[in-house]
Amino acid sequence: MTLATRAPADAPAPAPAPAAASAAAPHASAGVAAAVRATRRRRRADATATTVAAVWLAVLAVLTLVSIATPLLDPYFQDFTAAKLGPSLAHPFGTDGNGRDVFARTVAGAQNSLVVAVITLAVGAVGGTLIGVAAGYFRGALDNVIGFLIDVVLAVPALILIITIVSFRGPSIVSIGSTIGLLMVPAFARVTRSIALTVRERDYVKAALLIDTPTPRILVRSVLPAVAPALVSYAFTAMTAAIVAEGSLSFLGYGLAAPAPSWGGIIAEGRSDLATAPWITLAPAFALAATVMAITTIGERVKERYS
Amino acid sequence: MIHFVARRGVRALGVLLLVAVLAMSTPLLLPGSPALAVLGLEASDADIAAFNERYNLGADPFTRLWNWVTALLHGDLGTSIVTGSAVTDQLAERLPVTLELVVVSLALALVIAVPVALRAAWRPGSVLDRVSQSLAFVLLSMPGFVLGMLLIYVFAVSLKALPATGWVPFAEDPVEHLAHLVLPVVTMALAEAAVYLRALRADADDVLGSTYIHAAQARGMRPSRLLLARALRPASLPLVTLVGLNLGMALGGTLVVETMYAIPGMGRYVATAIGQRDYPVIESTTIILAAAMVVATLLVDLSYRLIDPRIAHDARH
Repeated sequence: MTLATRAPADAPAPAPAPAAASAAAPHASAGVAAAVRATRRRRRADATATTVAAVWLAVLAVLTLVSIATPLLDPYFQDFTAAKLGPSLAHPFGTDGNGRDVFARTVAGAQNSLVVAVITLAVGAVGGTLIGVAAGYFRGALDNVIGFLIDVVLAVPALILIITIVSFRGPSIVSIGSTIGLLMVPAFARVTRSIALTVRERDYVKAALLIDTPTPRILVRSVLPAVAPALVSYAFTAMTAAIVAEGSLSFLGYGLAAPAPSWGGIIAEGRSDLATAPWITLAPAFALAATVMAITTIGERVKERYS
Repeated sequence: MIHFVARRGVRALGVLLLVAVLAMSTPLLLPGSPALAVLGLEASDADIAAFNERYNLGADPFTRLWNWVTALLHGDLGTSIVTGSAVTDQLAERLPVTLELVVVSLALALVIAVPVALRAAWRPGSVLDRVSQSLAFVLLSMPGFVLGMLLIYVFAVSLKALPATGWVPFAEDPVEHLAHLVLPVVTMALAEAAVYLRALRADADDVLGSTYIHAAQARGMRPSRLLLARALRPASLPLVTLVGLNLGMALGGTLVVETMYAIPGMGRYVATAIGQRDYPVIESTTIILAAAMVVATLLVDLSYRLIDPRIAHDARH
């Protein structure tokens, strides 16, 4: 403890004392004080990161509302006399090749990307939970069949499947959302199946079975609440995967159709102007990475709380 | 062990069979017949029959799969509707390109991730540990195309140190070949390295707390030897899983990188075929890529037992 109090808590560089201590002692028995300090430092960094993440998501939400509710941020307004302008007060992220405001397009892109991601997540989570709980709770032949079908979904080349369906069926929110969602079903099913397997052996479920509680009631009242925490924790990871998948798809040109802005689409549009107007690409790229980071950070906190 | 391999093998074959039937159902996604779409509405019945015969179209998915398998036994993967050349010839050009990308980037990712992860786990909370963890977090949050665009912007557009896009075969110009290889490989390797780093770092932490590690250290074993010869193997199960799955997906997963850097590999080959409704190409490549995935998963399962023989004993009881 003396070491921990001696070194100021917010020292920017690692203080020499714990470094020396860990150098002298082997891995596992590194100075207790150093370990305490490291834990504190991590907690503080975690708290800061969570705050920053929450603020970023809040700002994004507010901007999205502004762009929906007011004409202030119009992603389609073109001014060809103001093409490829650098960032300024009037255009915080500059303008693109058609004189459209990149800031407004990035905000509108957030909206489209997030809507697709949420639909994807809904399909994956609902489908995966139904299948996973059924497999884990009923076991036997049903479990085997579901396991086999999951193996099939995992074996199908993901991008090829999505591109085929989007290309053959047209790029709608439904076709994109449900196809990426289908690919997320296996992961959700695995998470929920393992929990349903253990819950089935719990005394309260056995008791419910003894007094002839109808199966749907057991599933809803006992199994679902047990599955929920893991489901919520995993949903954050899945959400980031959905955002990345939607972004990649739009980047490749298989996302929502042309003028509709999405992050991947704007990044691809800005590609040819990378030398003269890099902000067209860099602004949505930053927004995308920052959003994924923010959701991951908050997801980690949620995970910690539940475990 | 033999029993296990046989059971897994049968299951894998079943999975592959179902995927193949699904692949053969691709033409059903569009109404109308591919023959009429290509030959025109005035095509004679004889022409249509010849077209369907040549490209293995027109029948139900099961018959078409049967035809496909019998042709495969003769080393024939079908004929491209668009170019008229054999799919095997086209694959012979594309597959090596993608394989090179995948193998080189995997090697680079492991060369970065393994030493850094072990060193970081050896000194938890050290500068190396914190910097590598933060970098891995940032890299994991960046989709491949975002990372690629940043690398292109920095190294190709701003510094003009490397070519932004394109592909030069090794035989044509080895130096140019390597120059064009750097950015795509680094894009893929950094993203993979972040995943491997996290997985190995987490498991190495547990392993390094074991008594046999302390014993080895007490005997005076050097840390580098200790980490590589004693700690790596028990800590590497998740790493092997990730590498295996990554290899399984890699052949089809390089599409983004290939598109971004204009590389003529498998990914772009399939994407182009999908856009052109080139069914024989779509079907053959889908089945090949699925087979790669199934084999990779199988090998991962088997390698578990080689890395940790206790797994086999546990399963038997």
